[in-house]
Amino acid sequence: MKLIKNTNSILFCLILFLFAFIPLYPKFPLINIQGTFVAIRIEDFIIALTLGLWITHSVYSGQLKRILQDKLNQALLLFFFIGILSTFSAIFLTHSVTPHLSILHYLRRIEFMLLMPVVAWTINSRKKFVWALITLATTVFMVNVYALGQQYLDWPVISTSNSEFSKGLILSLSPGARVNSTFAGHYDLAIYLTMCLSVLTAIFFAVKKRFKLPLAALGLFSLFILIITAARQSFLAAFIGIVFSLVLSKKKKYILFILICTGVILVYPSQLRDRFISTFTVNILNLGKRYEGKTQDQQIRSRLNIPTLAVKTSSTSAAMSTFASPSGSLATDITPGEPIDSTQLGVYRSLQIRLNIEWPRAARAFIKNPFLGTGYSSLDIATDNDFLRSLGEVGLLGTLAIVLVFIQVGKRMLILLKNDNKLIRYFSAGVFSMMVAFIINGMFIDVFEASKVASAFWMMMGLGLATFNFKDD
Amino acid sequence: MKNLYIVFSVLLLIYMLVPGPSSIENFKSLPNSDKSTLAGDTVQIPNVSAYFSDNFRDFVVPFYFQNYKEKTWLPFPPLKLNHPPEFSWNVIKRHTDSTYFEEIVYPLRDSLYVNGYEPFYEDGSPKFWGSAKLNEGKNLWFTKTTLRFFPSSPIVKFIVWLGISVSILFLYKLGRKIIF
Repeated sequence: MKLIKNTNSILFCLILFLFAFIPLYPKFPLINIQGTFVAIRIEDFIIALTLGLWITHSVYSGQLKRILQDKLNQALLLFFFIGILSTFSAIFLTHSVTPHLSILHYLRRIEFMLLMPVVAWTINSRKKFVWALITLATTVFMVNVYALGQQYLDWPVISTSNSEFSKGLILSLSPGARVNSTFAGHYDLAIYLTMCLSVLTAIFFAVKKRFKLPLAALGLFSLFILIITAARQSFLAAFIGIVFSLVLSKKKKYILFILICTGVILVYPSQLRDRFISTFTVNILNLGKRYEGKTQDQQIRSRLNIPTLAVKTSSTSAAMSTFASPSGSLATDITPGEPIDSTQLGVYRSLQIRLNIEWPRAARAFIKNPFLGTGYSSLDIATDNDFLRSLGEVGLLGTLAIVLVFIQVGKRMLILLKNDNKLIRYFSAGVFSMMVAFIINGMFIDVFEASKVASAFWMMMGLGLATFNFKDD
Repeated sequence: MKNLYIVFSVLLLIYMLVPGPSSIENFKSLPNSDKSTLAGDTVQIPNVSAYFSDNFRDFVVPFYFQNYKEKTWLPFPPLKLNHPPEFSWNVIKRHTDSTYFEEIVYPLRDSLYVNGYEPFYEDGSPKFWGSAKLNEGKNLWFTKTTLRFFPSSPIVKFIVWLGISVSILFLYKLGRKIIF
């Protein structure tokens, strides 16, 4: 009995550690995998240790039967079962994956998602819950401080935005680049902050007066960092998440205030504002000055759009070369039809890559195997829409299974909104809003595959569900 | 609902197990062509064959589409998926020359990939910088077509069918418990 109690305490410490370690520890690779630049990192081993300990603890404490009887856990297990089936089908039927990559991608999903029941079953008292919230708030503060250091004090940047950077190189923020704090990608940082803002908004109304000021300051700090990431989708998701939090917390009168603040942020000159403007001018109104092509070969290649064809180059004459700009005034890989302005070019490509490459690829995978998709890792590194990615990778069956998980979590959060305890009530509103904001982010970014944010998301969901099991309430 | 499920499962099993081609050798050679004997087009990669010819995409893809349909005992045609040419590097081999890459597929069954390299338009004008006619044996050709077929064993199809049937059943039962 004492051993079981001790194990529970160790698990609790490990969870607190993970709440801080996952967001804060930079993405240094530990073991590289052949065929991908996604590496196994130290946090994978700590999570594996936590999961192993939890499963052992569940068996010896007699909780396993209860855990397996839980409908939510059954939905998770069904999702994992369909994942195995999809991987098997991808390796042996559709031949659409490299086996070791598909299996590792599958294991990653299990790793992230199992954190939810681990947290839900380990945080079993109000005291532990409060400790988890304090850890979370401290972590968010430190993430923000580091982001600020990157922006203004040239603190080191670890990035995984390309195969070279992902080797763990220590970089610094170049002019115009966007902060990523400890997240290795500015989108990941923005999504994390979106999640935190949704929860912070709700909790703000639950805490005593003396805590309101620090929480408001943390919220504003997070909002500022979110703005300097210039992530449009996450900003929009944060706005919706905050509004959801206010509605569910029955504080609708603050929505007007949020609307005014959003308006001011969007008017004030920033990279975020420029990218929003470019979205309208380039992607919606189809305006902006476009590159017309320098050589005939460039125009022909642009029309064919086949990157594997031979490229005309010249070491003696820049005029002969296909590459656009010897002076550096234009992007070297710009092709005819693309905007000349660098911000507009980034915004234009951001949408065109999704519309012309990633989303059709997912649609083809779904057509090829509508029930099971073409397996994990078959859609390359990104789809930038988690709904399409799910349909493409695990098909209709896998997607329906994950939808069941969300329905069940959503239902429980809505039940908790009627809880007598104020903190639990507001926190549930925040977690539900966070889920909405996360799913909205998932419409344009692969949020469920981004290791840091996905782990943090499932842990936060677990924390929300944990309030069901409190022994002292 | 139970009857619908049983009918669906049985039909799916029949669809998945109906015989079809089992090897690239089961497909016809491209008319008026030379079969490639180059390394990478014969035995180095399983179920690959390649043809040099003057046949262009408008002829080649419908030809193999029809051929695949005839070889499969199903009353309806396969689907055609148009992939980006560079995807041929993943499916056939790295550095595969390609100007189009299509997949002819019966979902949940086998796939035939048709890769075409056409450095010239049909009127003989070059498509891009570096276009050159293709030399195989004593002949010069306008196009090269590479085929790769991915067959799968009936046991694999049966296991996948079983998994799909079980998953649908579990999804239905759990879905009812969670939603209602």
